[in-house]
Amino acid sequence: MDDEHTAGFREPCAQCAAVDWGVSDEGRFYCRSCHNVIERTREVVDPNFTPGSTRISTISRGSRTKRPERGRQWMICEGFQFILRNQADALLRLGVSPNFKDDVLCQLWRLYLQKSRQAFTHNPVTSSKFKVRGLDSDSDSAAELSVVSANETNLSCTAESNAESSSEWSLCSGSVDASSYLSARLRRTRGLMSMMKTLALIHLALIWSAETLTLSDLLRLVNEGHVPYVNAYEELPDEMKLEGKDALIFRVEAVPSHQTVHKEAETLLLFLQLPAFPPVSRQSLLHPSLLSLRYLMDANLPDELHLWVCRLVERTGMADETLHVSDRLLRPVLPRYDVQAAALIIVTMKLLFGLDDHTEWDLSNQTGDQDDTGDLFNLRRWYRLLQAALIRAQQRRDRRIARKQWKAKKPLYDNKREKYSMIKNKRIAEQVQSCFERLSSCPVGVDRINPSSFRFCWGDEDGADGPSLHQKKLDGVVTLKLDVLTPLNSTYWHPALKACKLRSCSSHYSEVEPTLPRTFVWLLQLFSFLLDVKPAYLYEEVLKVERRAINSKTHRRKRRRTRAKTPAETKAKTRTRTQRGQENR
Amino acid sequence: MDDLEKELRPLDDLEDSSDDNSSIGIKKSKLPLVNPICEETLKETGFHRSTRGCLEQIRDALLHHRWQEAAEYMACYPQMLENTTHSAVQQSKELIWRISTEILHHHPNSRLEDYNNIYERMKHSGVKHYLMICLEHSFHLMLNGHIEDAKHQLSVAESWRHGKESAAQYQNTKLIQAYRSLLDYIIWCDKKFTHSKTDHHDTGDNQDMHSYFRQASVNLKEILKNPGVWDPFILSYVEMLEFYEDHEEALKVLNDYAYDDTFPPNPNAHVYLYQYLKRHNATDKKLIKVLKVLHVLVPSHELMLEYSSLLLQSEKKSDHQKALGVILEMLDFACWRGNLDVWKRLKAIIQKLQLQEDWKDVVSEKMAARKDWWPALHFTRFHASKDSEENPELKEVKASLTKILCPDLTLKYSAG
Repeated sequence: MDDEHTAGFREPCAQCAAVDWGVSDEGRFYCRSCHNVIERTREVVDPNFTPGSTRISTISRGSRTKRPERGRQWMICEGFQFILRNQADALLRLGVSPNFKDDVLCQLWRLYLQKSRQAFTHNPVTSSKFKVRGLDSDSDSAAELSVVSANETNLSCTAESNAESSSEWSLCSGSVDASSYLSARLRRTRGLMSMMKTLALIHLALIWSAETLTLSDLLRLVNEGHVPYVNAYEELPDEMKLEGKDALIFRVEAVPSHQTVHKEAETLLLFLQLPAFPPVSRQSLLHPSLLSLRYLMDANLPDELHLWVCRLVERTGMADETLHVSDRLLRPVLPRYDVQAAALIIVTMKLLFGLDDHTEWDLSNQTGDQDDTGDLFNLRRWYRLLQAALIRAQQRRDRRIARKQWKAKKPLYDNKREKYSMIKNKRIAEQVQSCFERLSSCPVGVDRINPSSFRFCWGDEDGADGPSLHQKKLDGVVTLKLDVLTPLNSTYWHPALKACKLRSCSSHYSEVEPTLPRTFVWLLQLFSFLLDVKPAYLYEEVLKVERRAINSKTHRRKRRRTRAKTPAETKAKTRTRTQRGQENR
Repeated sequence: MDDLEKELRPLDDLEDSSDDNSSIGIKKSKLPLVNPICEETLKETGFHRSTRGCLEQIRDALLHHRWQEAAEYMACYPQMLENTTHSAVQQSKELIWRISTEILHHHPNSRLEDYNNIYERMKHSGVKHYLMICLEHSFHLMLNGHIEDAKHQLSVAESWRHGKESAAQYQNTKLIQAYRSLLDYIIWCDKKFTHSKTDHHDTGDNQDMHSYFRQASVNLKEILKNPGVWDPFILSYVEMLEFYEDHEEALKVLNDYAYDDTFPPNPNAHVYLYQYLKRHNATDKKLIKVLKVLHVLVPSHELMLEYSSLLLQSEKKSDHQKALGVILEMLDFACWRGNLDVWKRLKAIIQKLQLQEDWKDVVSEKMAARKDWWPALHFTRFHASKDSEENPELKEVKASLTKILCPDLTLKYSAG
């Protein structure tokens, strides 16, 4: 094998005068008889060889000082700006209104930069050598984020100060302030940007502009690759070189969970000290009444259930409260529309079906006996359909996760030492991959799933997960009693409560789960799969909804009668069974 | 009072322990636990989850022989090599090497180029596995008939040096040298074959052949000094030496192999020595000497027949008795039960022994230890019926011997 590479090189060795060359692992020529290494290296003929990140960038003349081999000087927040822009563009392509990017996200970003003193401020948080222009910047041109224009000079250093600063320019990163960005002092203030914060910022902007993209939808889009996140730094312009410590900031190997991003968004809300959010109207699809309709459809539950969910929404008072984000300055609370809607559906089902492993099956048996036409909603049939579809969908998801490729085409390396071995490993990985791609004639890379709001597809078409049960009637579960629709089930169970420390306990689900009825646990798992959250998280939300429903004062005082065609209010008697006294308020 | 308590306490312990023994106690299992390779750790990033899931799918596909699916997942797995933790990368290199070759063995579309590609890549991926992968690669080429390529691979591997690493793997280096010499021998055989076919003697070819012989013999001589089981290498070396008529060296090599105490006991060594001596018309005495050791090692060896005939041919009476012992020991093993030649030889020995006066004592002495179980082994009614169906001649011979071997017992094995 060596002969191919040393072919043509017939110089005698300087030490032993033999002509017997080999190529070592590093690509250097060495004499096989005396092991003398010479300076000649093997020319890489391998067509698959990727040169790595040190490419020659464009050389241009201008007032801005640029080093030809290193691009231009840039700051970390510039990088994040580009990434945010790309993410926003992706969302616009998916159908979000442009108002979200131009009016909301930009303003939030600028506010963030100001609050964290990275820009638009008189005393910037990073090195004082960089003179930054103040607030009299042009707000119109600032809206043009997509152009590498004078906008950048707001954030980057002026040309005059380059002489002194370039000597201090850190050699361990492509950006100017990566090392100070990561310093302990700045990290303590907790104001600095991270990749996860980009998602939190986008989530805040989405809520503000009342877009119907929930957090679970956003994270699903990120997971499926429609919104850039992992390896988002690859789309930065070429002049911005990423090296060294930049890797610690921009390289991510996981998509954060729902809970994490939500907490981060709340922290950001506090940091930015935003005023009250614009209210969420009842017609908006983010409102629980309408959002639950979407989840009901996805879970193949009958449309008649929606009425009961709306009743529950009004009873718990969530119809009004979610109309605005709480602006308590000490502890802002962001609503979790998606998780709340799912919890509402679960509690409604608990009211109607009991879900204690006995009642629902008895009701289902009765329905099966009574039903001649097949029009009634039968829980057993629904469960069988959903279970099969759920298992299939989970397997599909596991396979997709197994195939997912995380590493970028232009990887980032922490330090130079490991860079060479990583490049070599990457080459090997690519070779093995192409060999097996050829062998199996199946290219690597997840199939691009078309983005969809729904996880399942119910109906009669090809590729549907099963027949649709949306039109079934709930007559087997509810009856008319004194002209009022009442559920046949009249009991309600509640897990045991006890006092616990507010701050230290996160969730008691893992302890309680063995005691819960299996149907309920399965239902939690179904909705956790739909939203891609952990069952414990959803369980806590269910408890919160129940607490609201029990504590609400509305059901005693107000008796609202609607004039609509639908039957009047329900009078579901609930009898809570708390085993141990204290509730945690 | 304290003493009383102390005295009482041991009784309690006894009762408790007996309770434990009587009930189905929970005993700690002493079986070794398998270290799971696909284990979910606490802090797992999406990347780790993906690679772990991928490995699980590959493992599942391999166990169920779904080769196409395994190949598809194997295409997604190499991103593990770009992991930032070095220990995980090292482990995954070996995994990728072994799993890839396994998939290539079974996938219908695999070609030799794929093998070469994978072997070359994984060879240079790290220093720990370089020699092993070289060996495996050359084995694969050997098995597919590409002898020259195999030899080339091994020569490259032989000249590999990497400081401490190559010193630590010296056993692998020895293996590589040995197999390279074996390949030299194979090429030498080919050349000899073609050489003998052609009528005119091409000196160039001749030289070539001799050079291979020289290369092979130098290494083999070195290798064979190390204790071990080197059967195929010995045979090839001896064959080459015989061709060049270096009998002294051949004999020396074989003797060393057979009689060196540092080598593990190997009956084949004695077999080779015996065959060589027989080829070269050695004296009976020498042959008997070699076979004596073999008899101790493997009493059921097929050469024991020849041993017994050699002993029978000698003049000494003690040798005849020894022959009887040899044959009886052979028949102790069930594999020779139905062999006509062995029984015939036994009959011949008995006949020769009957020329002496005290033959009955000799026979009974030899049969003393066997009287309890030989009838069950050879002379039951089942054997009688089976032998009369399958091999009537054997039955005759055996029947004639029953009275002689076991005179006291009435056996159900009768002629007719």
